[in-house]
Amino acid sequence: MSTQLTADQLLHAYQVMRTIRVFEERLHVEFATGEIPGFVHLYAGEEASAAGVMAHLGDDDCIASNHRGHGHCIAKGVDVYGMMAEIYGKKTGVCQGKGGSMHIADFEKGMLGANGIVGAGAPLVVGAALAAKLKGTDSVAVVFFGDGGSNEGAVFEAMNMASVWNLPCLFIAENNGYAEATASNWSVACDHIADRAAGFGMPGVTVDGFDFFAVHEAAGAAVERARAGEGPSLIEVKLTRYYGHFEGDAQTYRAPDEVKHFREHNDCLMQFRDRVTRAGRVQASQLDQIDSEVDLLIENAVRKAKSDPKPSAADLLSDVYVSYP
Amino acid sequence: MSRAPLTVGIIANPASGRDVRRLTANAGLFSSTDKVSVIQRLLAAFGATGIDRVLMPTDMTGIAAAVLKNSHGRQARSSHWPALEFLDLTLRQSVEDTRLAARWMAERGVALIAVLGGDGTHKAVAAEVGDIPLLTLSTGTNNAFPELREATSAGLAGGLFVSGRIPPGIALRRNKRLLVREPSRGLCEMALVDVAVSSLPFVGARAISRGTDLAEVFVTFAEPQSIGISALCGLWFPVSRQAPGGAWMRLDARSPEALLVPLAPGLLQGCGVLAAGSLEPGVAHRLCLASGTLALDGEREIEFNAHDRPTVTLDAGGPLSIDVNATLAHAAQQRLLAIGREHPQHPLNLESQDTLENKNVDTADR
Repeated sequence: MSTQLTADQLLHAYQVMRTIRVFEERLHVEFATGEIPGFVHLYAGEEASAAGVMAHLGDDDCIASNHRGHGHCIAKGVDVYGMMAEIYGKKTGVCQGKGGSMHIADFEKGMLGANGIVGAGAPLVVGAALAAKLKGTDSVAVVFFGDGGSNEGAVFEAMNMASVWNLPCLFIAENNGYAEATASNWSVACDHIADRAAGFGMPGVTVDGFDFFAVHEAAGAAVERARAGEGPSLIEVKLTRYYGHFEGDAQTYRAPDEVKHFREHNDCLMQFRDRVTRAGRVQASQLDQIDSEVDLLIENAVRKAKSDPKPSAADLLSDVYVSYP
Repeated sequence: MSRAPLTVGIIANPASGRDVRRLTANAGLFSSTDKVSVIQRLLAAFGATGIDRVLMPTDMTGIAAAVLKNSHGRQARSSHWPALEFLDLTLRQSVEDTRLAARWMAERGVALIAVLGGDGTHKAVAAEVGDIPLLTLSTGTNNAFPELREATSAGLAGGLFVSGRIPPGIALRRNKRLLVREPSRGLCEMALVDVAVSSLPFVGARAISRGTDLAEVFVTFAEPQSIGISALCGLWFPVSRQAPGGAWMRLDARSPEALLVPLAPGLLQGCGVLAAGSLEPGVAHRLCLASGTLALDGEREIEFNAHDRPTVTLDAGGPLSIDVNATLAHAAQQRLLAIGREHPQHPLNLESQDTLENKNVDTADR
């Protein structure tokens, strides 16, 4: 609930956000070369949301993500090189190169998967939360969906069931203003996604998704409620994406200076750096060092991923069906 | 004889009433739908008191859109809503939208601005509009500046004043304010109710939910029945809205005396009271902490550190607001809402309309 983070926690949060940013900015460049199969949906601009929520979670807490899942995976601790190889469709990827950008999963890290079906993560985390409740652990389950996902029936059903069963569940609506090319103020009838929580008998709040500390504080309060057996919550995180819905989207539906304005005035990394250094909590040189380490990490991940082997024809049917004894 | 159209503004903060206190306390929700209803009650009252035109900002949450849609409906016609004009702002979905709308309304010379929001929203409008009176309506979480009040009667008070039927000496109240200054950062921010000094290092989710996070509080007024940070002074060292001065309090968990305070809806917190006293107008006070955050009207807004030397000063330069109780008491005394036989709402006219409708006779559309 409080924002009294230690210097180590602050540095970790910065490292997570910076890793996501550099990962996504690099994919923006690499995707244009045509070497990456499938679609990629970049999370750049939204980093404070993933970092602020995941700061409260451990490997035993499950999350489910959506098509824009790279940031959630990185913040949940999925291996960055394994992710890059997965996006390149290589055998060394976290899902052996058969999932790609929209299906990165790592159960050991509590990452139930990115998901190409809008809103489909919500029922999954209700299952995970039910499992935690039945097993009597204090784990929580968190789903990330967007403003488009917030209109899906599966999300409503999941919220209803989570509330009826009082499950340790968080619904994080990352409202970046657009469902693909449709503005959320045209398509979300209740106008504030957080308002929908009242219909399911759970608290709903809206937070500034450019501000790591705002997300961290709200998510902390919601996780604390869930772990204490007080049931689910909905957090609407208001933010923006710096790139199109997918790479290649011409974004003719956005105002020309929209992204520029947010990058210059609201950017989560810029705000975070300014504030923690001004408060004297960490030194700028420590953040610079993280910047260099992250650059190197991403450079190595891309270089290795590019030269790694693809899955072979013999791999085609492995990991597809569960082998029953 | 022609006269300038009577024009007022309505600014509703789309974001108010949904912060973290729904998780940390038992705060309720003030939905966009509720805000639309409040605006429509105002429009009915403004229509009934002769206001010609209402300016409203657009917004990203459908408030203006719903009001526009409903302005074509039967209720709007039968209660003679004023003409609506929407200000087409470039929306940033931040407090800047509120400030910009207030500036545009001031430039257009509105006679009154009705504000729907919390203390913070009222402060943002007040900072832009000089002596244009505010009609204050609470749609926030814990508010002291705007009163919790039915919008229809508040709208009647506002409309009666704007149409010249209430003397300003009765209708208007001058409010105090607190100014936070930090010259080296070019900072001069206003608060209408309270400035709280917190050891929390970052603005974060803005609300203050723990008494132990408070080190010092300055208030313009503090009523015993209030909720939020000003309730601290309200329950220990109360000071009225009308008194020329304010109050301050120092807090420390280890103080010999402690006080139970409603810091947010359903949230009672013990606060250690070190000292309290009067705040004289015009005197700049330094803060008791070298670093931390300043919460203005209940929300952390300013982070300060050892290089900064912010001060807090009380003065009487706050906004004018409509005293709804005094205005309506005057209206009752003068029978200002008495209507003649020609008024469409006169019961005999309503009766004849009923008869016509029952006979299924077409009447001219008003």
